[in-house]
Amino acid sequence: MSASPMRTVPILIAREYLQRVRTKGFVFGTVGAPIFLLAIVLVPQFLAGDGILAQREIALIDRTGVLAESLVPRLEDGGFEVELVADAEAEDDAIERAREGEISGVLVVDERTLQDGSATFRGLDSPSTLRQMALRQAVNQTALAARLTDDADASLLALLQGGGLEMDRLGEEEEVDETEGLAGYAVGFIGAFFLYFVLLIYGNMVLRSVLEEKTGRIAEVVLSSVRAWELMLGKIVGVGAVGLTQILVWVLSAVLILSLGVPAAIPFLGEMEFLADLPAFLPSAGVLAFFVVCFIMGYFIYSSLYAAVGAMCSTEEEAQQAQLPVMMLIIVPFIMLLPVLEAPDTTFAQLSSLFPFFTPIIMFGRVAVGTVPAWELVLSIVGMALAILAVAWVAGRIYRVGILMQGKRPTLPELWRWVRRA
Amino acid sequence: MSEPAILLRGVVKDFGDLRAVSELDLEVPRGSIYGLLGPNGSGKTTTIRMIMGILEPDRGSISLFGGDPNRSRRARVGYLPEERGLYRRMKVLEQLVFLGRLRGIPRGLARERSEEWLERLGLDDRADKRVEDLSKGMQQKVQFIGTVLHEPELLILDEPFSGLDPINQDVLESIVREFHARGATILFSTHLMEQAERMCESVCLISGSKKVLDGDLRELKRAERMGVVVVDFEGGHEWVAGPGVEGFDETPTGVRIRLLDDADPQPILERALRAGIRIGRFEVAQPRLHEIFVKHAGAPADTPPEGLRRKRELEAASEGRS
Repeated sequence: MSASPMRTVPILIAREYLQRVRTKGFVFGTVGAPIFLLAIVLVPQFLAGDGILAQREIALIDRTGVLAESLVPRLEDGGFEVELVADAEAEDDAIERAREGEISGVLVVDERTLQDGSATFRGLDSPSTLRQMALRQAVNQTALAARLTDDADASLLALLQGGGLEMDRLGEEEEVDETEGLAGYAVGFIGAFFLYFVLLIYGNMVLRSVLEEKTGRIAEVVLSSVRAWELMLGKIVGVGAVGLTQILVWVLSAVLILSLGVPAAIPFLGEMEFLADLPAFLPSAGVLAFFVVCFIMGYFIYSSLYAAVGAMCSTEEEAQQAQLPVMMLIIVPFIMLLPVLEAPDTTFAQLSSLFPFFTPIIMFGRVAVGTVPAWELVLSIVGMALAILAVAWVAGRIYRVGILMQGKRPTLPELWRWVRRA
Repeated sequence: MSEPAILLRGVVKDFGDLRAVSELDLEVPRGSIYGLLGPNGSGKTTTIRMIMGILEPDRGSISLFGGDPNRSRRARVGYLPEERGLYRRMKVLEQLVFLGRLRGIPRGLARERSEEWLERLGLDDRADKRVEDLSKGMQQKVQFIGTVLHEPELLILDEPFSGLDPINQDVLESIVREFHARGATILFSTHLMEQAERMCESVCLISGSKKVLDGDLRELKRAERMGVVVVDFEGGHEWVAGPGVEGFDETPTGVRIRLLDDADPQPILERALRAGIRIGRFEVAQPRLHEIFVKHAGAPADTPPEGLRRKRELEAASEGRS
């Protein structure tokens, strides 16, 4: 009736996975997090009392007679519906309607506006900060443009808009446009941050789970039926599968929100139009695939270390201390990430991304911002694979001895003996 | 039934400079109920852990069912560790099915047997409760079910009765006897001499990491030359001390007198009569296991463990040397 690893490991994985996936914490974290993120973006708008669905109609009184022509389209670009007030009688009427709350308010521009860009907004409530910004920007730009046109130097206008920075990468066939560069940076940073975050979280989950099995003396029961490496492998794969599930749900919902939800919502979003550019920021399939590779391989490296830490400790407090060196292996590359993203092709960036313990975070960042030669990619993946084997060998031995050991934490020389003799 | 279920030869286990098990020979015959007896810290749990392959002996050999204690032989063993270990957040039935499957029985059968056992132990209404919501005694019963789900030929139970109330001790005792009646071998450790005396066919007494004596319980008692005299009486007991008496314990109704080896009980009766006390009972009895233990080990079985905590510490420190 002896059970082979082929039978027992799946049983161990299934237990770990099902126990975790069914908790309320997991459901909230997985489904709740995207909803929460969306809410962070949208809720302030509603709370401002001037939300997405609030009135966007304003009346414009132009006492200069020259600004309205270009101010109205600018305001409309900013998400307002503008009604130009013609005469004094209509002015009173507009102010009355603002008082009644029928329209959001009345924007008054006059000679002063042409002088220093200031204007007056008369309404029941102040508009939200975002809307005030949009109003001021529209007014300022219009006033500035009007003054510059007076000087009849049209080229200044172009300067005012700000020129683009054209990127010409030497040695590359295609020209890269600037949004792609910015998008790459964003994907690199956000993706690497995400990796940093999930590697810490799931590593910690493995740590606590191992600690529970050890302090709860479950290991002794289970290890009378399976070998230590089977238990450790089942744990790591089980927790990892939970992580993958969660990431999959997150990424899918992010893609859905950005590629379908946001464009559909644009007409209703008013001044949040910048969101419309977001779909362009979606990472390419290749980058996504490398992200998954980095997560899985990085996860195996760090979680094995975390498992070993869990096995050699006997209390939560001890484990908090003992995990510091492992945490550093995740934190340090994250600190190094920004300089690498700034200059992804330096020797520093190259070397640090090829150091297997830093590869998951740094190499992912480099891949997202630029083009990493194929040989470096292959080398980094081989490096991670070798690191997994080495770490599994060392951590497996520490785990095997530690998991059944109660008492004080081993010192470094003792730990070395465990590894050598286990 | 030729080779024993468990055979230990010259097994030694050190934790640092503390010897936990010293030159232990142990032979558990197939189909027997075997008691491993001794005070806390005498090496019972260490011995059992070595049999289960959780610890490696420093010297000596261990065989299970006449061979190397490999995976397939250990799969025929049901092991109840001294410290109970269950996933606290897992539901009872799920946990049992999990343990059963790990031990190689299919899911459906594991479920069926778990439900039968839960019903038998009065836990059927707790099947969907989390383990952490159960009392300690209930958890222990669940743990026991997990031990026997795969119907092992050999049950190794480390202090199975500790923490159970008398009623549940009786329930567990009758289940253990049932397994024995079906031909299973049972090895259990305990520091409760009376329990062992009631249940065991053979015993091994250990103290301070060394074996004191072992063998068939009845033969041990017969071979014991120590006599015991039980006297129920009214009056003072100055008359008890005298030639041939090693010592005595007061009982609620009189005294229990341990005689020196080969001493004749007759002079005691004469002394009692001369003292003029009123005798309710005078009985020449067999020595209790406890008395045998004290005589051979020089200390009672429930002496506080010497160096137990130290052993635990050394355990962690020294394991790398194994």
